[in-house]
Amino acid sequence: MTDTPILPKEEIQKARHPMAEATEMFMKNHAAVAAAVVLMLIVLAAIFGPYIYPTDPFDMVWAPFSPPGEAGFLLGTDYLGRDLLAALIHGARVSIVIGLAAAFMSVFIGVTVGALAGFYRGYVEEILMRITEFFQVLPTLLFSMVIVALFGASLPMITFAIGIVSWTAVARITRSEFLRIRELEYVTASRASGASNGKLMFRIILPNALPPIIVQSALMVGSAILFEAGLSFLGLTDPNVVSWGQVIGSNRQYILDASYTVTIPGMAIFITVLAISLVGDGLNDALNPKLRQR
Amino acid sequence: MKHVLKGLVAATAMASVLATSGFAADEPKRGGTLITVLGSNVRNLNSAVQSGIVTGFPGAQLFASPLRYDEDWTPQPYLAKSWSVSEDGLKVTLNLVEGATFHDGHPITSSDVKFSVKVIQENHPFKAMFAPVESVDTPDEHTAVLNLSQPHPALMLAMSGQLMSIIPEHIYGDGQNPKSHPRNNVDVVGSGPFKLVEFKNGEHVILERYDGFFMEGRPYLDKIVMRIIVDPSARAIALENGEVHISAFESQPQIINRLKKVDSLTVTSEGYGAIGPLDWLAMNAGSDGPTGNVKVRQAIAYAVDKNFIHNAIMQGTVTDAKTGIHPDSPFYEPDVEAYELDLDKANALLDEAGFAKGDDGMRFGLTIDFGWPSAKPHVEYVKAALKKVGINVTVRASADFPTWAKRMGTMDFDLSWDAVFNWGDPVIGVHRTYVSSNIGKGVWSNTQGYSNARVDELLEMAGKENDPEKRKALYSEFQKIVAAEVPIYFANTLPYHTVYSDKVGNPPLGIWATSSPIDLMYLKD
Repeated sequence: MTDTPILPKEEIQKARHPMAEATEMFMKNHAAVAAAVVLMLIVLAAIFGPYIYPTDPFDMVWAPFSPPGEAGFLLGTDYLGRDLLAALIHGARVSIVIGLAAAFMSVFIGVTVGALAGFYRGYVEEILMRITEFFQVLPTLLFSMVIVALFGASLPMITFAIGIVSWTAVARITRSEFLRIRELEYVTASRASGASNGKLMFRIILPNALPPIIVQSALMVGSAILFEAGLSFLGLTDPNVVSWGQVIGSNRQYILDASYTVTIPGMAIFITVLAISLVGDGLNDALNPKLRQR
Repeated sequence: MKHVLKGLVAATAMASVLATSGFAADEPKRGGTLITVLGSNVRNLNSAVQSGIVTGFPGAQLFASPLRYDEDWTPQPYLAKSWSVSEDGLKVTLNLVEGATFHDGHPITSSDVKFSVKVIQENHPFKAMFAPVESVDTPDEHTAVLNLSQPHPALMLAMSGQLMSIIPEHIYGDGQNPKSHPRNNVDVVGSGPFKLVEFKNGEHVILERYDGFFMEGRPYLDKIVMRIIVDPSARAIALENGEVHISAFESQPQIINRLKKVDSLTVTSEGYGAIGPLDWLAMNAGSDGPTGNVKVRQAIAYAVDKNFIHNAIMQGTVTDAKTGIHPDSPFYEPDVEAYELDLDKANALLDEAGFAKGDDGMRFGLTIDFGWPSAKPHVEYVKAALKKVGINVTVRASADFPTWAKRMGTMDFDLSWDAVFNWGDPVIGVHRTYVSSNIGKGVWSNTQGYSNARVDELLEMAGKENDPEKRKALYSEFQKIVAAEVPIYFANTLPYHTVYSDKVGNPPLGIWATSSPIDLMYLKD
């Protein structure tokens, strides 16, 4: 952008706040907008659903395996006669909270490691990148299974297990952005005017490295939800908390008798993760300045 | 009932096909290779040192025991052609079949019996089986006399099935540890109807007819291939496709019900009486918490609906069990408190016990454990059922089986789903759960911390009572006391089923299922 020619006066006046520009770009991606609406609905359901539909997902409310719609149960009941709609609504909270928390954790670790490595280079980078590679070559699902199996299947531990195995991509992206940006003139200029390392890293370089990191973290929420579903499916979950993956996992042996008990939560995961991916895609369009000029 | 009907239909069909000979004349036929399965990997083929149903199947084919049982719980001669118990019950004399040989041609003698008893006493996990056996005399090659410190009626069942495998002294008597003996899994020299051809763990156990078997004309089969298929769905497919002739110990309700619909297969729950597998809700009666109160335990029993467990969770594949003795056993006492679902009674008992409902409708909290994935629906059900009477149950997941077993063994639980096997005589598999001297001695001991002086006394008397009627009366009183004090809420038998194709003749439907010799099994044309 440094080589952008000086614009005519009227063009300069037309330039707007980057956020407004990004929003406009996002709005142009209709799929992403639709996904954002769906996502919003799911989040609202997760927040307010349990108050509107207070049925305890662990209560047996009707005969087992009542198909959807029967006796007023919109999504039917599972193998113990528990309301699947209640499980879906209450499970949304857990799935989304774990997704967000695990993504936040991996972004936090990833950005810290990537920023330090990319900024300081030298032996700091050597050490941090070897550690990153160590986590990269571990089979992620297996590693998190071991963590959960060893330390117990509580929600914080599951979140930790997902977060600890998925930060490497963020670290690598952050590092590469830092490596690129730290050589740019404005960074050199800030350094020359006496900015401290901390300020350089987090006030000057990081904000400019954010776009790809934001996109990556949005996608990470989706993959964390999938990850949680995978762990729950294998039974590595807190049995006192309902999540979508857990509903699938505990109903899976009844798939031939009552397939809806598995497909309904499966669809919920599918729709949520797809929506997150599409929103991530839209963010990518919106935040990528090269695309903006197209 | 369905399988009985199906059997009848099959029998009728068979009779009409063989119009001239008829069903009764369907003579066993020599030859053929039976394909069967084992549901998990085999640790050890030597059933004298290893318990369990997976070792039991190959173990009972490789090694003969002195007795075998028919389906009416009557002992039959096997390696012992006859036996007698002295008047005072302190001497049991076994007269061995003459001319019986091990698979390497060495004769089976009374000193092998003596040696086997010693190895089992020292190495087999079921110590109660031969605990009163003080010594074994061998007056001649074919007579073994077991000298007992007290009458020991359990000995009869302990001498059958997989429990008393006669192993060769000239192989295992070389001073090496019998538990880890190199010949346990390789080059096994047994005494039973089939000899080992090949054992590849994770793949198969292949057995072949032993031509020198001591029972004339038996076994009928030439070869048995036991494929190790761990996944129940994969076993079900193999049965449906006819790749496997017979599979025992199938226990998944969905799969059992699915296989019942296959025309060429017979699915039966017969034949597990001596294995005696029971499914139950264990309560920590020795706890300082609410479960230590008998009224709380009774309330829990009244709040749990057995019908729901039988019909919804187990999908009709189990039979009711009201006590700690398997309903097929001659000692089973059906006339005990059955704890039919009664929420009012449960609430009243909890009030009486001093646990009033709080403002939120809850009284107190308990935890519930489970040790294997298929018990998860049960604990989820108990959680939901007890919420209705104001008990807030938290499910505790165990990372793996050993974690759960440790919790049980150290009595670190309030409630837990559990399954325990009778293993023939009550002395072997029942006493351990109730006698106060066995509290907290690892998983499947008296993990409930249950202690009742009368029960201890009754079990001790029943353990040495040779008169079957008197013994039954003692066990009957014992079962009534336990039912009243509910350290355990008995749910049902495990849904073990034997599934076999219409090619199989004489499936093992005696009391020991496949933990008994299948020398009578044959393949139809």
